[in-house]
Amino acid sequence: MHEEASDLDLVRLARGGDESAFAEIVRRYSSRVFQFASRFFRQRSQVEDAAQEVFLKAYTQLDSFEGRGSLEGWLTRITVNTCLNILRSARRRPESVIADLTEDESTWLENRLADAAAERHQSIERSLAAADLADRVLGTLGPDDRLILTLIDGEGASIKEAAEVTGWSESKVKVQALRARRRMRKAVEALLAGRPQRAQATLESAGEK
Amino acid sequence: MKNDHIIDLLESAPLDRLSDGERAIVREHARSCGACRRAYEAAQMAALMLKARAAETIETPPFFQTRVMAALREKQAAAESALWRMWRAAGQLVFSMVVTVMVLGAISFFGPGSAFQTEPQDLAAGYKRDATEQLMLTPDYSAEDVSDGQVLQVLYEPDDGVEGGDEQY
Repeated sequence: MHEEASDLDLVRLARGGDESAFAEIVRRYSSRVFQFASRFFRQRSQVEDAAQEVFLKAYTQLDSFEGRGSLEGWLTRITVNTCLNILRSARRRPESVIADLTEDESTWLENRLADAAAERHQSIERSLAAADLADRVLGTLGPDDRLILTLIDGEGASIKEAAEVTGWSESKVKVQALRARRRMRKAVEALLAGRPQRAQATLESAGEK
Repeated sequence: MKNDHIIDLLESAPLDRLSDGERAIVREHARSCGACRRAYEAAQMAALMLKARAAETIETPPFFQTRVMAALREKQAAAESALWRMWRAAGQLVFSMVVTVMVLGAISFFGPGSAFQTEPQDLAAGYKRDATEQLMLTPDYSAEDVSDGQVLQVLYEPDDGVEGGDEQY
């Protein structure tokens, strides 16, 4: 019905109470909102709940959209803030959780450490174990750390892009990223230090080669 | 290199954005320093984990748009219902206040001893009626026993006389 309408027209119509115009906004930008919400949560139900909350907030705040930036950017900002608020209200997981590695996670760590010790090239992979580990470690960090690491180190966003998404200044993004990287590295060091002896042996033998 | 060796370099940017020269410095130093080697390994693992995590995306489910619109209508209905409840409660309160004011008004205008009833003429009439009724209800006298003179005396007696009427009979 409104497929051809511009974003600004959709916003104007939705403000006037046209539900179908808002439904078109949801259709147009839900994949973008899901993409960002997926950075914060892994369970489908959590991502869906967060995305729904984003659009409900967007509907009530339509009057604050002035049209100076893009609707996509505006919705992304709402997504980030909504997800950060959800994470902030949730309890952070205790660090001890990272000590209980599954077999898959231990195996992944052993293999990657062996590669690192042998200075073999480590390609980016779609590994469930790696993503699980990332989630464990990120769960021990604060929501801001999680956001900035996912954006910059995970997705490869520039400082400027991260600043636009978060609404922070570029200098704040730089400082936050540096500190988050330090905390993540220390958490992974703790994880590696607590891993099974078998992995240590693998690493040492690889290091001797 | 400072005391913390290659640590600053590792934290300054994502590993894949370090220049070849910087990476060579890191690798070279990590070979000879145990603490920095562990830090470098951890940084490498962290980078791989974050990339793997970023590769995961949950797709939008097919009926998400319908779900959002249903939630929106539900929220609006709840807001309207809350508004209606508030308005109804306020209406009841206002109604009870109006009734109270009206009752109080009626009492003050029409009640005994009100200004409305203490007009001089009415006061005299009420006075007479009260005194006559009192006379008629006095148990010792029936209506036939009371003479016209007695009635007139009661009616035209000064205040003190009325109050002390019982003493005369």
